Amino acid sequence: MSQSLSPECTPLKKKYDSCFNSWFEGYLEPAVAAGKSSDTRAAYSQKKADEFNQKCGKVWEEYKSCIQIAVKERGLDTLLQQARDENPLVEPIPPLPPAKSS
Amino acid sequence: MRFFSQSYSYDDSWSIVTLAFFLRYPNPYASHVISCDVISRDHTPSGSLITTRLILKKGAMPRWFPKGIISRAESWVIEESEVDPYGKTVRCVTKNLDHVKIMQVEESVRFAQTAEGKTLQHTEARVVSKFGWGLTKRIENHGLSKFKANMQRSREGVSLILTLLRQSRLQPMTMGVESSQDASPLVERPREATTHENKGNPTLWAKVRKYFQQPPPSDT
Repeated sequence: MSQSLSPECTPLKKKYDSCFNSWFEGYLEPAVAAGKSSDTRAAYSQKKADEFNQKCGKVWEEYKSCIQIAVKERGLDTLLQQARDENPLVEPIPPLPPAKSS
Repeated sequence: MRFFSQSYSYDDSWSIVTLAFFLRYPNPYASHVISCDVISRDHTPSGSLITTRLILKKGAMPRWFPKGIISRAESWVIEESEVDPYGKTVRCVTKNLDHVKIMQVEESVRFAQTAEGKTLQHTEARVVSKFGWGLTKRIENHGLSKFKANMQRSREGVSLILTLLRQSRLQPMTMGVESSQDASPLVERPREATTHENKGNPTLWAKVRKYFQQPPPSDT
């Protein structure tokens, strides 16, 4: 796994990444367990989010606070804020061109 | 402003391409990536996962670029992504945070599952320079051709990780334990047998983690 921007955070980052990756793999394939209705999906999503917090929540908080300090120290927080103000992710990305076969 | 778009199809399923996409650093095709951090990650009520990563990349200035303007050829890049496991889509927007007056490159990538279970990647890029001095066009053209070349490398990196994931999916045990027959350079890195407490059904990640935890070969 790649390094953290701050060497002090790298051990926490690796621990966190590893925990996240294990969880993420299961998260990507929810279809069967979650069903089709939005209610069962919401319940399933909540369960997955809880599972993440239970497994990785602690190391995530540790890594996050380490990285937040490092980001501030380097003055990156203002750069980040500017980027967010200009172009938040909510801005829709144009839809895919239609696939040939569907 | 220069604009570019391209579509590409992977034979693999959406979930495995997405996993490879998130695991893509480090890989031998991305030696320009110095660091990569998750700075926020949230679960939405609808079940999507929204991630912001902050990435530091090494760059090189073209020889014709005026000296003394950029002291270090490194750039901070923000990557915001949304993974929707129900709609089987990933949206990801990346752009540089510094040197934006010289050039800003904004990339949008989307991965979506096709009806045949393959994965379609659609990439768009916008390159904008506000440099002036008669160099704006030249900078934008340079940025665009670099982007195209890098996109090719980036795809090779994702394909490499995909190969690793595919191979490990076929292995009953952890990768690299003793799999020298199919002597792929890819699986030679993880050497030692891992000893995790797998309960008979290790995740793909458990199988490939050794590979990612090895220091890159360039390190000493």
